Amino acid sequence: MLVKPTKADFKVIGYYLGRIFLIVAAAGCLPLLWAVLTAEWHPFGSFALMIGVFTFLGMLGSRLAPRHPKLDWSHGMVVVALAWLVVPLIGAIPFVLSGHFGTPLDAIFDSVSGLTTTGLAVISDLDHLATSLNFWRHLLQFLGGLGIIVAALTVFVGPGGITLYFGEGRGERFLPSVTSMSRFIWTVAAVHLVVVVAALTLVGWLVLGFEVHRAAFHAITMFLAGFSTGGFAPQSTSIGYYHSAIFEAVAAISMVAGVMSFGLHHSLWRGPRRDAIANLETRTILSTLGFTLVLTLLGLAATAAFTDITGLTRQGLFQIFSAQTTTGWATIPSTELSGWGGLAFGGMAIAMALGGMGNSTAGGVKALRVGLTIKAVANHVKQALLPERAVVGAMYYQAGRRHLTHDTVMAVMTISLLYVALYLLGAGVGVAYGIPLQQALFESISASATIGLSVGVTDPSMPTLLQIVYMLQMWAGRLEFLALFSLVGFFYAAVRGK
Amino acid sequence: MTRSTRLVIIATMWLAVSGAASAAEGTTVSELIADAEALAGSEVTVEGELVGDYGFRDDGWMWTQLNGDDYVHAPIVDGGEPTGGNTGVGVRMSFDLGQGLDPPGGYRNRGPIVRITGVWKHHDPARQGESYLEATSLIVVEPGRPLNQDAQWVAVLVGLGLVAVSVFLRIWRRDETESL
Repeated sequence: MLVKPTKADFKVIGYYLGRIFLIVAAAGCLPLLWAVLTAEWHPFGSFALMIGVFTFLGMLGSRLAPRHPKLDWSHGMVVVALAWLVVPLIGAIPFVLSGHFGTPLDAIFDSVSGLTTTGLAVISDLDHLATSLNFWRHLLQFLGGLGIIVAALTVFVGPGGITLYFGEGRGERFLPSVTSMSRFIWTVAAVHLVVVVAALTLVGWLVLGFEVHRAAFHAITMFLAGFSTGGFAPQSTSIGYYHSAIFEAVAAISMVAGVMSFGLHHSLWRGPRRDAIANLETRTILSTLGFTLVLTLLGLAATAAFTDITGLTRQGLFQIFSAQTTTGWATIPSTELSGWGGLAFGGMAIAMALGGMGNSTAGGVKALRVGLTIKAVANHVKQALLPERAVVGAMYYQAGRRHLTHDTVMAVMTISLLYVALYLLGAGVGVAYGIPLQQALFESISASATIGLSVGVTDPSMPTLLQIVYMLQMWAGRLEFLALFSLVGFFYAAVRGK
Repeated sequence: MTRSTRLVIIATMWLAVSGAASAAEGTTVSELIADAEALAGSEVTVEGELVGDYGFRDDGWMWTQLNGDDYVHAPIVDGGEPTGGNTGVGVRMSFDLGQGLDPPGGYRNRGPIVRITGVWKHHDPARQGESYLEATSLIVVEPGRPLNQDAQWVAVLVGLGLVAVSVFLRIWRRDETESL
């Protein structure tokens, strides 16, 4: 029997949502400060309004229940799903007021795309956008990549913290407490921020010849987008703007750091380091990266798009790296990418669909699920080839030797199939609007796996329904379905329960 | 002069004149992107706004971006309507051409509108497959100008009001807790 949620349930959810809004309000003070320092008074007003709304809702929510009420599993999932719905709505206020979006829906689209670390954009005239607004776009990606819940958990800890943590699409517990994991994640981010921003600033200033403050601006925004594998860029021509292999290489460090699971970061920082190589997840991502790279390079070589090996390698490698890490930076325009057919398209689509590591800032099906699926399939084949009575057990290494159980296989297969369904859903809607299948599929995978590479379908003139479908895909893809189903179940129970 | 020599001279002159004419006629940035491969290696004349940064590099080239979209004449900051993304290509030019230009386009400025004649380098092997316009001449069609956007004081007031109400709620809650 469905149990109807009580008033107390709503109050608990409201309380934790309120706490999360207060954290985002605090984060919103950064672009506000940026606007003050750069005397950008038009966006200053919109940030003030956004902070006001977050603070008011946050305080209102916090008043609903006594301090740190008990949070059960379903409450936690609903809090996460709602937070990821409401934060981009309010976070879009500065975009709506900027005038750079044709409709409020366009502004919300970019806000959802930012927070889910997708990187698809329908913004108009990005090249004349205020720097504080540009910073906010990138900060949204950073918050979304690390997780607004993780951000909240670092500051306030309640009894249901772990529920919130898992609800945000993180399935690995590499430290005993949720607080220590949240703090470790922020430490990793902070260290990379300092190192990569310093390196990119130096490259921008000394190699690219930018003014030092502009070099710093590019460095900060590109790091925020790279580490979160988000893919926004401060200029309309993405990372191709810089026309520099050195800049691309340094920026790629942030992509690598972003695609690595925080468990792997922990192994590399505090040991055991052998886990970094021995883990099934690491081996799978290296294998799939190699496979899709070869596929794409062969495809590009066949079309003779590049006349020399260095051009082919640099451009092909960067695009596939950007796709597999689910970052979405491009060194070539979308019109050119849409012309990649055959193997090159296949390589890119597979890389995007498979995605990065779990418990990282990346999207897609995730390397561990891919690795476990391959193991399970191999196991079934082995079973079929051996005598009927033979027992075949499968082991895998992921922070220790583990048995591949039936439950694990079922869980992995379910999520993987849901991703495939999500890819097909967006592609189907795209095709229904007359978009060629290849382009519709590419854009749909890009939205669902939170990549951000585009073949030109995502545009302010795109159909409204398709835009809404892409937003839902980004949301579901980022949260990995569990929180989404919990939210639907919760509201269904609220209506039909007894 | 033999007849064949005369023919060669006439053909060469015709090619030179037609080439210059086609360069002078102008190509748009959109055409450059759409027909990138077809225009590879050809001389083109493109008009647009210089945006972003002027990167003077040690190798003697200055890099920037040339935009050719609706916002060249009407940036959104200046009251233009949002009609879609920017359309731009990378440009490199010698220091001589790049010196003395007005600040590039951004939030604070509408960059100079220039007419650039140069060679379109598509997937240039010398630069590991990058595509860009290598400028050989540059004419400033319209100088850059500062852009201004008024502050949104109503938004500031509403925002501050909401924060003030929130602070009041916080104090009220604390009083309630203390009185229990």
